[in-house]
Amino acid sequence: MSRTLNALPPLLFAAAALLAWWLVTEFRLVSPVFLPTPARTFDELAGRFADGSIWTSLFATLARMILGWLLASLAGVALGAAIGLTPLARDLLSPTLEFLRPLPASAMIPVAILFFGLSEQMAVFVIAFGSIWPVLMSSVFGFGHVSPRLREVSAALGLTKWEFLGKIATPSAMPDIVAGMRSGLAVSLILAVVTEMQASLPGLGRDIFLAQRSFRGTELYAGLIMLGVIGVAINHGLGLAERRLLRWRARDA
Amino acid sequence: MPDVETRTRAADAASEAPALALRDVGVVFGAEANRPVLANISLDVREGEFLSIVGPSGCGKTTLLRLLAGLMKPTTGDVLFEGKRVDGPSRARAIVFQDYANALLPWRTVAGNIALPLERAGLSKPEREARVAALVAKMGLDAAANRYPAQLSGGMQQRVQIARCLAQKPRVMLMDEPFGALDALTRQTLQDELLALAAEQRVTTVFITHDLEEAIYLGDRVIALAANPGRVVETIDVGLPKPRNQLTTREDPAFLARRHRLFGLLQGH
Repeated sequence: MSRTLNALPPLLFAAAALLAWWLVTEFRLVSPVFLPTPARTFDELAGRFADGSIWTSLFATLARMILGWLLASLAGVALGAAIGLTPLARDLLSPTLEFLRPLPASAMIPVAILFFGLSEQMAVFVIAFGSIWPVLMSSVFGFGHVSPRLREVSAALGLTKWEFLGKIATPSAMPDIVAGMRSGLAVSLILAVVTEMQASLPGLGRDIFLAQRSFRGTELYAGLIMLGVIGVAINHGLGLAERRLLRWRARDA
Repeated sequence: MPDVETRTRAADAASEAPALALRDVGVVFGAEANRPVLANISLDVREGEFLSIVGPSGCGKTTLLRLLAGLMKPTTGDVLFEGKRVDGPSRARAIVFQDYANALLPWRTVAGNIALPLERAGLSKPEREARVAALVAKMGLDAAANRYPAQLSGGMQQRVQIARCLAQKPRVMLMDEPFGALDALTRQTLQDELLALAAEQRVTTVFITHDLEEAIYLGDRVIALAANPGRVVETIDVGLPKPRNQLTTREDPAFLARRHRLFGLLQGH
């Protein structure tokens, strides 16, 4: 019940923001070329849904982003497990990773274009490169902090290394892995948009970019709203998945 | 019945060697090997007995148990299990840790935790489920079988850990102050349940505690350790009748005499 009550103030704030937007455009405080009215923007959005054109862009962006994010998550968890659990991998890989990590993913775009051209592979590579770090870092932490007691339990039960990995270490690191994957997903959306703009790949990012270049304000803001909706929807979905995956953490269920 | 088979095999070994033995064991910690933790410890644990080890904090009780478990190696001397040198942990020697909350897998339900040792035992799923159900019932965990450890009281969590140990069908159960963090009433209940279990399963038990009365109440024998460095100062045969009783046993003059003797010994060092 408190959840429904708590939902009210944020909704009011959102409504107030919309109202402010409307007031600014209604009284022409900003030129409509830069900021169209909310009504026209939502009309544009509805139109793109009606003629179906938005789905192509939406799916292109989502597919790219999710593919890059999944690859990053797989690689991040695997590398994180290796580094977190084996000193050899840590000593071997850490210096290189520490060098690569501060590189802005957008700085990798020219390199990726050299290797892959203006292609999907380029975009997926850049997205994966950028979104691997949060997953990798939190996996290293998660796998590196399996409680010593659970290691002893595993030893006392004679579990093999792989059983330890599957039954003890991975579930133990799961809260960190999930948190890292959530941060990674936010990065992947950013990079999906950036690569589309850079390489003119079909998607919401390119739509926004082209709309701005040709002063189609309504289209630009319609695209931004869609990106916002994607962010909220994905975060909500992951939140649900997280609660299901980590339901053992709840004290009462 | 695998129980019978286990027991005969253990009994054969016992005719030649004690279940567990320490021979002149010393353990030294510290970078320059300058902190002796245990010195010249020699002791036998007899097949099927309940041995309590009592001592003040810092006397190396836990270290001693970890040696018996094979979780660490002695600096000097030998640790023997059924006559053979211990060179690592074994499923034949189960450990019950004091910090039950850390020793259980928080992401597995009660039933899932108890099933853990059975997953490798080559059992079919129905067999495994039947064994888990039997242990759940034996430990009074029926209502909690599908709950997660964090949802249970300390006493219930410790019951789960004991059930998990029993699932691995150990010949020796090594318990490190298992009831130390529980309230007095829960502790007494679990003491009696443990005595009944140990008698029924005929499992050799080494029980570490800092509580003199608990050591005497549970033990067939009590070994008293002193600190700095940890060493055996006394071994007493308890010799009180079994089954023990929380009221009459604790009021028995023999019980009180043992308590006086141990108390004096441990104070004296």
